[in-house]
Amino acid sequence: MTRSEAIRRSAVALVAVLTMVVMLPAGAIGQQSPAQPHVEALAADALDGRLTGSAGARGAADYIVSQLRAIGAAPLPGRSDFRLPFEFTAGVNDAGTSIAIGEASWSATDDVQALSFSDSAQVEGEIVFAGYGLVVPESQDFGYDSYATLDVTDKIVVVLRYFPGDVDQELRGILSRYSGLRYKAMAARQRGAKALVVLTGPQSPNAGLTVPMTFDTAISGSGIAAASISGAVGDALFEHVPDRTVEEMQAELDSGNPHVAGFAIDGVNLSLEVAVTREQHTGFNVAGYLPPTAAAVASDAKPYVLLGAHYDHLGHGMQGNSLARESERGEVHNGADDNASGVAAVLEAGRALVDVERGRGVILAFWSGEELGLLGSASFVETEPVPMAEISAYLNFDMVGRARDNRLALQAVGSSPSWEGLIERANVPVGFNVQIQSDPYLPTDVMSFNGAEVPSLNFFTGSHEDYHRPSDDTTGINYEDLDRVVRLGAIIARNVANQDSPLEFVRVEQVEQQGQRESLRAFTGTIPDYTSEVEGLLLSGVIEGGPAAEAGLLEGDVIVEFAGQTVTNIYDYMYALDAIKIDEPITVVFMRNGEKREIVMTPTARR
Amino acid sequence: MAKISRTRFRVRAAAMAMAAVVGWAPASVGQDGDGYTESDFLSRARRLTIEGKRAGEGYYRPDGRMIVFQSEREPDNPFYQIYTLDLETGDSRRISPGHGKTTCAFFQPGSSLIMYGSTQHDPESEALQAEELAFRESGQERRYAWDYDPEMEIYTFDQDTGAYDRLTNVRGYDAEGSYSPDGEWIVYTSMRDAYNRDLSADELKQLELDPSYFAEIYIMRADGSDQRRLTDVAGYDGGPFFSADGTKIVWRRFDEAGLIADIWLMNPDGSDQTQVTDFNSMSWAPYVHPSGDYIFFASNKLGFTNFEVYIVDAEGEKEPVQITHTDDFDGLPVPSPDGQTLSWTSNRAGGDGAQIFLARWDHAKALEALAAAPRRGAGSE
Repeated sequence: MTRSEAIRRSAVALVAVLTMVVMLPAGAIGQQSPAQPHVEALAADALDGRLTGSAGARGAADYIVSQLRAIGAAPLPGRSDFRLPFEFTAGVNDAGTSIAIGEASWSATDDVQALSFSDSAQVEGEIVFAGYGLVVPESQDFGYDSYATLDVTDKIVVVLRYFPGDVDQELRGILSRYSGLRYKAMAARQRGAKALVVLTGPQSPNAGLTVPMTFDTAISGSGIAAASISGAVGDALFEHVPDRTVEEMQAELDSGNPHVAGFAIDGVNLSLEVAVTREQHTGFNVAGYLPPTAAAVASDAKPYVLLGAHYDHLGHGMQGNSLARESERGEVHNGADDNASGVAAVLEAGRALVDVERGRGVILAFWSGEELGLLGSASFVETEPVPMAEISAYLNFDMVGRARDNRLALQAVGSSPSWEGLIERANVPVGFNVQIQSDPYLPTDVMSFNGAEVPSLNFFTGSHEDYHRPSDDTTGINYEDLDRVVRLGAIIARNVANQDSPLEFVRVEQVEQQGQRESLRAFTGTIPDYTSEVEGLLLSGVIEGGPAAEAGLLEGDVIVEFAGQTVTNIYDYMYALDAIKIDEPITVVFMRNGEKREIVMTPTARR
Repeated sequence: MAKISRTRFRVRAAAMAMAAVVGWAPASVGQDGDGYTESDFLSRARRLTIEGKRAGEGYYRPDGRMIVFQSEREPDNPFYQIYTLDLETGDSRRISPGHGKTTCAFFQPGSSLIMYGSTQHDPESEALQAEELAFRESGQERRYAWDYDPEMEIYTFDQDTGAYDRLTNVRGYDAEGSYSPDGEWIVYTSMRDAYNRDLSADELKQLELDPSYFAEIYIMRADGSDQRRLTDVAGYDGGPFFSADGTKIVWRRFDEAGLIADIWLMNPDGSDQTQVTDFNSMSWAPYVHPSGDYIFFASNKLGFTNFEVYIVDAEGEKEPVQITHTDDFDGLPVPSPDGQTLSWTSNRAGGDGAQIFLARWDHAKALEALAAAPRRGAGSE
């Protein structure tokens, strides 16, 4: 065969590819991407950042419903509306908390404030000071139990915030995991305490201040009354301790010696009244349905395939999870990549699937409340508008509009042995340089469905420096590759819809992450690249002005050692982060252009 | 190097250790001074195979629409099996029987046959699979996985009828075969000369240590008749392929110690054997670009386990030009029949095993880079 003949043949082959996948947008050059109008409509300023429960989110839902109608989707079987409402906690407020120690009492929020997960309650009782209130499970090969020598049954426990400050890095790594306030409250409650009072020690960051009520831990109560107090209230309390000041006590505890014990504070009672109000709002998921066209699969073969994307975003970023810089604060967060891109992908994949033979019905779902903690998908899993046991597989699209270098991450692949083969087959004509990741425990709606034993797959084009900032807008979207994500998703969905047996679900072991991250308080300003499985930690960027940027780290650097700990993956890195200290310089070893380098970085206090 | 197994060539741990003894130090990465990067030659690089633990050696059907490759993706078989992959639909099909060890497949031009090496007739094959699986289960890792099984023989599979046909039938590893462009000949690698005569004491020791020492290039008709030896030099001769016009066979020849390999060309009758590279490293897995202008190959010039893909002009007058620039293994380069795409095997995706990658190939840029390359032996600028 001559070369020109070969070229002619390959042109014929290309035409064959395009006609074979007839249902799929070919992304012809010069034409606008069919996904683009969706991204632009959803990322418009008029929708005000699509905060769950807001008018902007309702407007976004209206747009999605109109598009579902346009492609001919119906509401879910047995329903007449595309919208699926769910209740959620939109905020938490202190409605007047007060504390009295003996004769003295306080009620200003600067002096006493409910913890956001507290129950509303009025309690009175004897006081026990329990050090840092830490309980480290035996499995950590290190014993630490602040309650070992204390009886706190029916008493009010006072503890210090955070964890001992002067311990070595390895111990910090362990202790920091168990120092979250919610975890401390649970430990106190399990030992029979009536209430938990938290004091930020004089040697700790934020010394003497009450703990702000954050929303992200406020979704449910903790079964105990809990409040934080000011340094002044703490001093008043320690006046009843004859031989020690709070400074001396903290200094002893900070050594990390597990035998430094707490004590009962005799001769005085504490009364605490905590009042917390949680604002209940209504959010809306949206779901459309494309019934099977072909002879249905066997009745026991799970008759649905689910495609989903969350459509909510951060509003103006005032809920605590915005990464807006000082100069951008309060601006509308349009969330073009996160996740107008995913909504556009599901709508267009749905349009492509309308015209192909389907042995299973296809559900197109759009979640709200994702940014507040996967609320919409969790409600869907719990209320089961269709039974979870009848869903053959779930394809999730979250941030698919910023593909670079032909890369696409496909995550949660470990949830079924069938994914690799399905991806290989579908990707041959689409041609992404796919990055396969097994772990289904992802900060996106896949988590809800994996928990319900639905084999799940997440499409993700990677994090970037505009993530959760007002600058995540339409100008950054790579529409050509977004169209290819649609093609890939539609081919996989079609193949799942038509295969005889449903996918087998596999439960992937979760890497242990006990305790809570809220205690993490050192800030480095690194943006890990979650799509990469290189040995080490690839940075997809560094936050301007942050410690990493100051130290000279750049996008593309691969961290291999951090503060003396070897880093081979993201978990190693998170663990190493736990163990670093504010204002204490650490050494970072990293690879740049194949060359090993070393810098010193000084973490700062978060916020 | 325990991570990946390659069949047209194996790096042996012992050889690595010996290389260190002879003072053959790996150059640091990035020392390649020709100033090119991967994206100068390769664009839209992407991972092609995804399923299974490892895959490699993707060879094109003459129309470029399908590849045949080896992959470990059967749950009960820890050895490679042979699969085809349709580049238009993405459909794949296992064409080897599923049991035994297989390797090195190639489409016969103009027919529905695919040729490959296999131990499928060996009654021990399933026991060997179970043994290997149990070995893995124990958590150990082999220093090297390729044993040049003397039961390896060349087979064909008919994609239309499903029939298997065995072409070689002598003791000793027969594999690494490929067809001539007219489909009438198969050039392959055989270690039969270690088994068909009485070996001297030294030779017996050599066989124990490394049977590939006895490997020579053979040729036969497509039906298995007329088997003839083409090379007769001690050390591993292997991995032969015809050039697209059928006038030359390219292969790699090791020195007796099995440490240094270089790329060679010869006529299909074995005459005019000419050394193309003198790269002082393990240079292997050659494949001639369809234009005939240059030869792809892989070399660990930059470090024992850091194989990269290179090209060299067919006359071997110039220094090779480095194509890939990614740590760890990049090798087994195969251009598509139209010369516009490169298939190669890489473990750049991470994980335990290598997989097949595809990229668009810039032929014009390759010619330009070769023209600008310094003359062989002149040293780099």
